[in-house]
Amino acid sequence: MTAQDKEKRAINRLESMRPLRAKVNETYLKSVEAIQSGKPAVWGMLNFYYGDPILKAMDIEVVYPENYGAIAAAMGVAQQYLDRADAEGFPTHLCGYSLTTLGYASRMMKELGGEIPPEAPLGGMPKPLFLMSSAAICDARYKWFQALGRYMDAPVWTLEAPTPGVKEFFMEGYYDAMVTLGVKHLRDFVAFVETMVGRKMDWDRLDRITNLMIEVNRVWHEVNELRKVKPCPMHSRDFWSAMPAALFLAGDLEDSLRLYQDMYREVKARVDSGIGAVPEEKYRLVFAELPPWHSLAFFDKLAERGWSFVVESFGYRPPIPIDPDVMAVSDPLERITRFSLQFFAGYYEDARQQKVLGGAFAYPYLKYAREWKCDGAMLHPLISCRSASTHLPYVADMLMEKLKVPSLSIEGDIVDLRLFNTEDALARAEPFEETMDHYRMVRQQEGLDW
Amino acid sequence: MNWFVGVDVGSAYSKGVITKDSELVGWHVISSGANYRASAEVIRKELVRQAGLSEDDLTGTVATGVGADNVYFADRKAGDIVCTARGIKNVFPQARTVIDIGSQSTRAIRLSEEGMVTNFAFTEKCAAGSGRFIEVIANVLRVDLSQFGPLSARSDSPITFSTGCAVFGESEAITRVSEGIRKENIAAGVNRALASKAASLVRRTGLEEPCALCGGGALNDALVRTIEDELGINLLVPPQPQIVTALGAAMIAATPATPAPGTGPK
Repeated sequence: MTAQDKEKRAINRLESMRPLRAKVNETYLKSVEAIQSGKPAVWGMLNFYYGDPILKAMDIEVVYPENYGAIAAAMGVAQQYLDRADAEGFPTHLCGYSLTTLGYASRMMKELGGEIPPEAPLGGMPKPLFLMSSAAICDARYKWFQALGRYMDAPVWTLEAPTPGVKEFFMEGYYDAMVTLGVKHLRDFVAFVETMVGRKMDWDRLDRITNLMIEVNRVWHEVNELRKVKPCPMHSRDFWSAMPAALFLAGDLEDSLRLYQDMYREVKARVDSGIGAVPEEKYRLVFAELPPWHSLAFFDKLAERGWSFVVESFGYRPPIPIDPDVMAVSDPLERITRFSLQFFAGYYEDARQQKVLGGAFAYPYLKYAREWKCDGAMLHPLISCRSASTHLPYVADMLMEKLKVPSLSIEGDIVDLRLFNTEDALARAEPFEETMDHYRMVRQQEGLDW
Repeated sequence: MNWFVGVDVGSAYSKGVITKDSELVGWHVISSGANYRASAEVIRKELVRQAGLSEDDLTGTVATGVGADNVYFADRKAGDIVCTARGIKNVFPQARTVIDIGSQSTRAIRLSEEGMVTNFAFTEKCAAGSGRFIEVIANVLRVDLSQFGPLSARSDSPITFSTGCAVFGESEAITRVSEGIRKENIAAGVNRALASKAASLVRRTGLEEPCALCGGGALNDALVRTIEDELGINLLVPPQPQIVTALGAAMIAATPATPAPGTGPK
């Protein structure tokens, strides 16, 4: 039996996922080709749609060090970069992605004079023209890219990304102020990029790209809405494989739109035929936060037990389209800002109605568990990532208090493979099934409908 | 007549029980050593001997614990948390919480009235909260493990470990010995550190009484008292606390296996 056959047996993977998954590799190769042909390439940070459409409109290839950190870990080459970062004096408790890429940058610039390390997976990240950092979600980002910029002797731009609390979001004038701030910063960013590449922005092109980005994410959102159905037609593994084209705008957007439309059709066909991603769906789960990229086959083992991961990590999901007027906005920078603000704000009205005002990072999981009818949550606190870990105990408490949905916490890390023990984690599956069975009864007694 | 065997191969000790129609007939505990397969074999031979049977007379065997894969004669495996839950249900049907202190880890498990697992928590990747911490410090103090509890009970001023890590804890114990601190007070300090970890796990899962304590750690009377003090409750301790998980495995052996999804009859 081939590995692919085994994978198919555990999780019924979507065919339409495969070309979307391939876009990540294409992006890295394109960035290397770009440098070789004298075109600019940039190192970017997951920026929740603020910066990517602007770079795309300026025909600049982007690679993402945090994504590359995960790739390096999954391909087993991260350790040498971690060791190098250690030798450079960076504390080992820093973000694993940052350490991996700081080690990479040190090797590239100090040892190889700016050449891509030969062992680097997917062709490596070429020396950037500049770095585009983002203030969204994670506090490690400022200093990480600042340090990378010093190794690379390249300027760093940090995109502002206001992240309001639920209460603040509804304060009078707050939303408009955020839009004004966002647009002003993006205008400054456009001027910076124009200076760096020596060309002017093609505003018509930005207009088209912005609309495509919004449409790609709308279709992607609709695909994920279909996953509320029982049995769930699409597993989280397919979500993670397919997300880069929407989240990072990897590859050509028109092509991506067509591929997500294909995916919608395939998922809808499964819904209509009652086909599940896991052949005999026994338990529906939500996953939070960053998955163990290096051990994704772990989910196949759980699928063999009838566990279907039906919804996941809010940080990767497309914005909930709550702003019906966004497409009517004439200024593409305002359209980008308003689109991006939906990423958090998409949950806020619901949170207000549910009277859960604390925990902007935590609330989405309540919504997911309720609407996707989850039996349990798998939480993955990461030793080297505070931003994806500190809210998880609160998530567990809220899920239990409000919805009687239990959580299973499995410790791990984003790049340090040693910290995630698959066998140990699987050993907890059996007792957790009993726990999920128990709370199914409790929910019924309390009048909850799943 | 149905004879069922449960074998729990832990990182330090291997435990086995044999039951006849759900009644405990015999049990055996040995050091796991470096060859789990050989340990499991020794246990089976001894259980069969105690029951006056031959190996062919056994109706079913379930293996559990970190070395369960080495129990080559088992009909199936079961997770140790579920086994502990079933075992404690057999010994103390009224228990709603159980603490299991093993060499590898300490676990707190909440149980429903029916004995089902409703919540659980482990010590993660750290020996400081497990019985292994006692073994490490007993070695530093040159004290036999069976004497660790009585030694601790004679303490008049337990030390406080300044670290939650067993490796650093070992260094700290060596330092305290060199400072002339009495062994009794170091041993009691270890029990306090362990009790504190166990209590944290119990609080994380939510304490519901009655609460039972099992695993090798429950053989340490002073540790039992310290956990009782920490939680402010009385604990139920089985007469043979080390074999509870193996007993649960035997209980599971006596129940029909649930087919995994996709493997049942169509």
